[in-house]
Amino acid sequence: MLRREVVLTWIVVLAGFFGVWSLMAATLPVPAYFLPPPTAVVEAFGELVRKGILPTYVAESLRRILTAAMLGLVAGVPVGILLGMSRRVADFFYPLLNFFQSVSGIAWLPLFLVWFGFSERTILVAVNYTLLFPVIFNAMLGVRSVPPLYVNALRTLGASRWRIVRDVVLPGALPSIATGMRLGLAYGWRALIAAEMLVGANGLGFMIFNAQSFHLTSRIMLGMGLIGALWLVLDYFLLRPLEEATIARWGLVQR
Amino acid sequence: MRRVSGALPFAVLIAVWWLVTRLGFVPPIFLPPPGDVVRVALELASDGSLWINIAASLGRVLLGIVAGVPLAVGLGVVVALNRRLAPVVEPIVGFFNALSGIAWLPLAITWFGLGWTSVTFIMFNTIFFLVFFNTLVGVRAVPRIFEQAVLTMGGSRRHVIFQVLIPGALPSVVTGIRMSIGFGWRALIAAEMIATSTGLGFLIYNGANFLQSDTILVGILVIGALWLLTDRLVLRPLERRTIERWGLVSIS
Amino acid sequence: MRYLRHRTAAFLVAAILAWAGWELYIRMAAPGRLDPDLARVLGREPFVNVAVTLGFAPEDFHIRLFQTYGIVSGVQGMTVKLQRVPADGVARLARLYWVRRITREP
Repeated sequence: MLRREVVLTWIVVLAGFFGVWSLMAATLPVPAYFLPPPTAVVEAFGELVRKGILPTYVAESLRRILTAAMLGLVAGVPVGILLGMSRRVADFFYPLLNFFQSVSGIAWLPLFLVWFGFSERTILVAVNYTLLFPVIFNAMLGVRSVPPLYVNALRTLGASRWRIVRDVVLPGALPSIATGMRLGLAYGWRALIAAEMLVGANGLGFMIFNAQSFHLTSRIMLGMGLIGALWLVLDYFLLRPLEEATIARWGLVQR
Repeated sequence: MRRVSGALPFAVLIAVWWLVTRLGFVPPIFLPPPGDVVRVALELASDGSLWINIAASLGRVLLGIVAGVPLAVGLGVVVALNRRLAPVVEPIVGFFNALSGIAWLPLAITWFGLGWTSVTFIMFNTIFFLVFFNTLVGVRAVPRIFEQAVLTMGGSRRHVIFQVLIPGALPSVVTGIRMSIGFGWRALIAAEMIATSTGLGFLIYNGANFLQSDTILVGILVIGALWLLTDRLVLRPLERRTIERWGLVSIS
Repeated sequence: MRYLRHRTAAFLVAAILAWAGWELYIRMAAPGRLDPDLARVLGREPFVNVAVTLGFAPEDFHIRLFQTYGIVSGVQGMTVKLQRVPADGVARLARLYWVRRITREP
């Protein structure tokens, strides 16, 4: 397909989308706050930046998700690898990790509220929980999926435990670890928004939830757009390349 | 071997739980003993409130699936057939996919108010965009050569759609359905905490308001069990069946 | 691995540079927001009362934020009055890019 055709189609689709939106905003017989036009959303963006609200809220949300990601990487991966090193241990923890991975941190949030009240800690515990389990689980699975042949081969050559982990187990588990990180972050980002709505005093989740009480729908739409865009940025610039690089390089494991 | 040891870890976990509460390491308000949780579960089951809440949540899930899947698959196929539109719509749907779930709740409340409509909308929304995306990607990924083969043998456009494209896209679609129900279930619980007064999410959030940790734990266990049952008994076999049969293309 | 050099590394480098540039800007613009006689008093007294003028009517967000700097004693139009703000609190207030002026209150 010609480059020009692609560009033209994009223009038509986007113009159609925003055009229909503006038209509906102008003509639908509903109160003004139901459907603000696209221009209102742009205005809201300018206003919230001018007032210093948006950068603060975005920074708060990003801070929480990135620290959770750090913890997942620094603590979750090693724990998962450790659990995976022994077949018996891995088999034992498999059902437990599977179960806890399925129950999102948000489901645990009421319990955390009882423990920590409406505080930052509640949000952080919920988000970190949500992110850690997929990481640990997938790291463990990744280690278990390394063909014993390679491990044994190195052992016959007299390699130490550490060498085996570094040269065979870790690279072999990397594709799974990358998948675990991606999944953990996907669940974690969504859990963060929900936690901010329920508990928060700041952050993007709080912003859109709070805006609803004041019928500031343009702010809601702005926040939603940012939530989606930020995830795409994180995914496209950090996660996807990591996953592709590890799978492309050490693609021992098929997904 | 795995099935037997499947129950063992949980037995150990419950034993540790019981021991910790028995030894008094944590006050019962933070971690009620297993006995209390069982007692509350039986109470809620016998006075009916547990079943009402389960039915409410599951009903919304079902509604979201019934409304979302056919629409998403239909639209996905239609858009994928249009070779000019498809590459443009795909990233747009991808964007909405990234946005899906709980982030729509304030907007839904603005439009529909508090109550089951908003909450079901969240479920529908999550399922719709993910299945739409996966259908779109799945149909487009079917190798052209199959399509052309059918056409050279004298098949009509309908044959191409129903006997090549849809089966070819099926693994992707079913994976999408499975994943979207997973995401949607989580978003549903969160939405029920905020926007409505029935359902499992409401049950546990309300429990927090009264510091009823035992009720909360009952709810959490039911949520986890329901998801595992659905995934294990319905979704996973469905996915396996379709991928085994039409495993031409699979996208996780 | 070379692939990483293009997309992710570029993104991270750009992010760090942008952040550094921004920090530099706000630190340089900060002193300009302080009223001259406030600046004079700043080193000498542990706590001051200030009036923070914004370019807009403060929202709930701003009031809550200011409560972490000192005691909010009143709001007049686009100005918020704060009491018992420590010296470094004033410095931090001056670095907020959406604040217009900070003057001294008795």
